[in-house]
Amino acid sequence: MSCESYDWKAYALGELAANERREAETHAATCEGCRGELAHVRLTVDTLSALREEEVPRRIAFVSDKVFEPRWWEMFLKPSFAAALVLAAAIVMHGYLMRPAALDEAAIQAQVNQAVTRAVANVERQNAELNTKLTMFYVKQTGIKYQ
Amino acid sequence: MIFREVEDRDLIAKARKGDVEAYNLLVSRWEKRVFNYLLRLVSNREDAMDVSQEAFLKAYQSLPKLDDPERFGSWLFRIAHNEAFSLLRRRKPEGEMPIERGTPGPGLLPIELSLAVEKALGRLTEEQREAVLLKVYQGFKFEEMAKILSCPVSTVKSRLYTALDLLKATLCEVNHEL
Repeated sequence: MSCESYDWKAYALGELAANERREAETHAATCEGCRGELAHVRLTVDTLSALREEEVPRRIAFVSDKVFEPRWWEMFLKPSFAAALVLAAAIVMHGYLMRPAALDEAAIQAQVNQAVTRAVANVERQNAELNTKLTMFYVKQTGIKYQ
Repeated sequence: MIFREVEDRDLIAKARKGDVEAYNLLVSRWEKRVFNYLLRLVSNREDAMDVSQEAFLKAYQSLPKLDDPERFGSWLFRIAHNEAFSLLRRRKPEGEMPIERGTPGPGLLPIELSLAVEKALGRLTEEQREAVLLKVYQGFKFEEMAKILSCPVSTVKSRLYTALDLLKATLCEVNHEL
């Protein structure tokens, strides 16, 4: 290849593919003119790098604008909000289904009355049995017939 | 690596959903590069600052149109380019006179060399200067530059190579080795 076919600016600026770079380097190793041209390009680019980078005088920042904020109904479309909504509904449903049955005060009162009646009858029966036993014992011991 | 750095594409995704703080973080990553590019292009700090703010605002409003978040950098510079040239077109009627600062001699201090480079860049046309800024200072590839500038790669190379030849000649005055 002739010297004109080598693009030393592209080489110095890192635009050549790996195989093109190798080919150019092989040529430059044996061509003083191309080495000189490459040196000039590199020196120009290196000199350009002396330009100081300036600091930004003041920070660029933006504040939230209502125009860009989501509307109220758009929050329902958020996955996190929908998940929270489903969880809350599940808790409410569980509480409703698992509530204790409503109490019937009349039925309870009837049950109490029945229990009291049974207890009173039981005590009266026991007292009658005890009286009978005591009477029989007294008759046996004294021979006096109890009237 | 335990902690994974937040990528630009993550911030872009959040910003697209209206997260202004995510966008501010994205701005903080790019503002210095954009400002310096614009500063060398419009040659005025206040104008560069104003155009930077305008470019970042337009970028925020246009984020939904960004097809590939991986190309955010070149897309942002495309917006900055448009804003800068809009300003430069408005300025044209007033006429522009390049400011001659005199030619610095050899053995320069870094600040003097920096000023010499600034002056040399100032002698280029806007298109040539922009090609140098995007390639040498911002490191964009020819293909990316073509997209930013909306022109063929051949045009990008033509502008850049002409600029480098002119800079070599100009900077010879300040660097005996050149």
